[in-house]
Amino acid sequence: MKTTLYIERDSFVHRLHPTAKVFGLFVVFWSIYWVDNPLALMPLALIVLAIALMMGAWENVYRFRWFFILIIVPTMLTWMLFYRVGKPLITLPPFYVSEASLMFGFGRGLKVGALVLASVLFLSGTKVEELAVGLSRLGLPYRLGFTITLAFRLVPLFMESALTVVDAQRLRGYDFDAGGPFERIRRYVPVVVPVFMGALRKANNMAMALEARGFGRTHRPTSFIEYRMHPRDAAAFAFLLALGAVSFWIYYSGLGAIPTG
Amino acid sequence: MPDVKAQTPDIEPVDTAVEEAIAVEGLSFAYRDAARAALSEVSFAQSAGEMIGVMGASGAGKSTLAKCLNRIIPELEGGEFRGIVRISGRPTAGARVYEIAPKVGMVFQDFESQLFSTSVAHEVAFALEQIGMSREEMLRRIGPALEAVGLAGFEERDPTSLSGGQKQRLAIAAVLALRPRIIVLDEPTTDLDPEGRAEVFALIRKLREQGLSLVVIEHEAEELRRCDRLVLLSEGSIIADGPPPSIMTRMEMLENSGVHPPGLNSLLHLLGIGGHARSIEHAEAEIRKRFPGVPSAPPAETPANEAVRASRGKAAANQPPGALIRVENVSFSYPGGPRVLDGADLAISAGEFVAIIGQNGSGKTTLAKLVIGLLKPDSGRITIDGRDRSTLHAAATAREIGYVFQNPDHQIFAATVEDEVAFGPRNFGLDPQEIERRCAEVLHAVGLENERKSDPFLLSKGQRQRLAVASVLVLRPKVLILDEPTTGLDYREQRRMMKLVAELNESGVAIVMITHTPWLVAEYARRVVLMHAGRKIFDDGVREFFGHDAMLAESSFRAPEVTALSRRFGTVALTAEEMAAWLREHCG
Repeated sequence: MKTTLYIERDSFVHRLHPTAKVFGLFVVFWSIYWVDNPLALMPLALIVLAIALMMGAWENVYRFRWFFILIIVPTMLTWMLFYRVGKPLITLPPFYVSEASLMFGFGRGLKVGALVLASVLFLSGTKVEELAVGLSRLGLPYRLGFTITLAFRLVPLFMESALTVVDAQRLRGYDFDAGGPFERIRRYVPVVVPVFMGALRKANNMAMALEARGFGRTHRPTSFIEYRMHPRDAAAFAFLLALGAVSFWIYYSGLGAIPTG
Repeated sequence: MPDVKAQTPDIEPVDTAVEEAIAVEGLSFAYRDAARAALSEVSFAQSAGEMIGVMGASGAGKSTLAKCLNRIIPELEGGEFRGIVRISGRPTAGARVYEIAPKVGMVFQDFESQLFSTSVAHEVAFALEQIGMSREEMLRRIGPALEAVGLAGFEERDPTSLSGGQKQRLAIAAVLALRPRIIVLDEPTTDLDPEGRAEVFALIRKLREQGLSLVVIEHEAEELRRCDRLVLLSEGSIIADGPPPSIMTRMEMLENSGVHPPGLNSLLHLLGIGGHARSIEHAEAEIRKRFPGVPSAPPAETPANEAVRASRGKAAANQPPGALIRVENVSFSYPGGPRVLDGADLAISAGEFVAIIGQNGSGKTTLAKLVIGLLKPDSGRITIDGRDRSTLHAAATAREIGYVFQNPDHQIFAATVEDEVAFGPRNFGLDPQEIERRCAEVLHAVGLENERKSDPFLLSKGQRQRLAVASVLVLRPKVLILDEPTTGLDYREQRRMMKLVAELNESGVAIVMITHTPWLVAEYARRVVLMHAGRKIFDDGVREFFGHDAMLAESSFRAPEVTALSRRFGTVALTAEEMAAWLREHCG
């Protein structure tokens, strides 16, 4: 099984300097943060989709399709049906649907979707080593940056072990779906405990292996892969700065808000 | 920050004739909160270029000793540390692990946790980055390091896409890049299949020829025959230290220390010849001296391919009526992946003892998962006691077919051993008295009756493995499928585990055991199913399997050495005892 999201491609995004990639993720998050209005969000969402297309990262988007649906649909519905704002179109307690709440719901769905999509794209186009480099160039201490990248490496391993544990407990007749929502969370104890214990053991093994290969010897390790800034990186930075500025302007001018009148 | 470049180790080849590589004097260590010391008063020395094998049961202190050599103990794992460790003549006291790293390379059992990078080349570069080496010098070193482990040409590959043996060899290359003169390998092949083991041991031999000093921890004595010296640890102390012939001929001492004695030596011992067999040929010569009348077997005349084809026909025919489990022409692939099973057949009847063997990726575990219902076949049919598997939930048949996962830690979660075992029956709504009765029964069967109230996480690996079996057994399945039930166990624990499995089989439970371990197959199974590329290519008795030279040659499975020796006499002996009895009867 593949344990990272990285997809080997030779796209414009893949070739960017790691710092540009990390900065790009930051700018997309920033831009999404300031804008609520779905109409104003649309161009942003389209930009992220265009990047996905450019990167050829559809296989990961497809891989996460259920995750997208599970996150976007409930978010949309919750805001659409319960957010008490504006003139109601339908009031059927506890539901409250207005033009503004529909806008909010749609906007929130777009926001969450774009955030997750941007993250998936980032991981599809950035090797963990690049992430470490990008983070350290942006001022994060090497040890901290490297530890963050290790977490990315470990998460898929834990997912895999969680699936095995679920299988093992199911074969012992365990029903994960019994009971109400809180009972259901509690019912995951037989999965969480083995996964957590396994994670501790793995992390411990990894720490030993890291030190045995000299990790910690210097705060400024050299880099095997050479990262040079190219004109394309300058273009990317210019574009990203403009995008961040425009998004903030949309918020500042009030265009990004949802009319509630 | 000191100038890291100045710390880059001296990589000039050294005169290996006289120099001391490792010296350990009066080394004692106790982990925090541990009842007894993990090591007490251990002393030994290694000359440069020497290869030392360290053997002993689980908990004897092997890994602790290894970690003391590169300062993981006491730097990362604290406790009470006494004694002196010298590396190339210099005491290590006060040094950090990363300072020792360029002098003592360390390779661990868990190869997955040793790889952090997204390309093979970068994995090797990692340690070099840490010592602040220039990129030009890195590029000069990566090639030779990969060359040394046979991974040249793999530079751009994602390490996660490698086989187990390749991953472990990469971990070794990653350590070699620092050009340490000493390499410590802590059970480097425990998690590998036979090919992976062979690859890694071949590499170890090569490193030794290059003059590196090696410390290899291992509990299969056979593999350590080529060492210059063996050190046997028991409960934290060295109980024997000497060249292989002086250690490997002391059968009782080895067994008592949880080490599997070499089969050939056991045979020579049983025959009253004694001594240390350096190889199968050597043992054969010794035996022929004692039993001049022993026949020679002509080499197998059937070409391998033909024999395989012939047995394929037989394999398909081996479908007895009234089987408990029946798999017919089943194919399966994981989403987006290649075909793992390609028209597989299998039938398991009541009371059988079947070993399923085959290379990693041949479909063994996938086949088992289809049978227990964790996966659904793309095509073909599986029936359980005559019922169509596809109509049944996995849990619905859990009381008929038990499945013990390879790693017991994938299921253990409860606070006490008793609760762990009772988990299954409670899920199935059995009444409390019945649960109580069954728990007592299975805990007795697996030898954990005195641990009822113990915390499962504090048990040894062998105990946890038996606990996992108990918690499946408590549902009283008619068939028990065990995936690699002895991985990571020492010899004593392996024997204990297999004794339990054999007893279960005698009491009527059919056993299906997925394994890579030749002697387990030879000594315990009655039928062998060999999987290759998603289908069964052999299905017959265990004796037929080991007597089928062409089949064995074609599969990567190796017969136990005693069995291989018996073929030279024209018979099939599955154990040293059987071989000895046969020789006495026919040639004595």
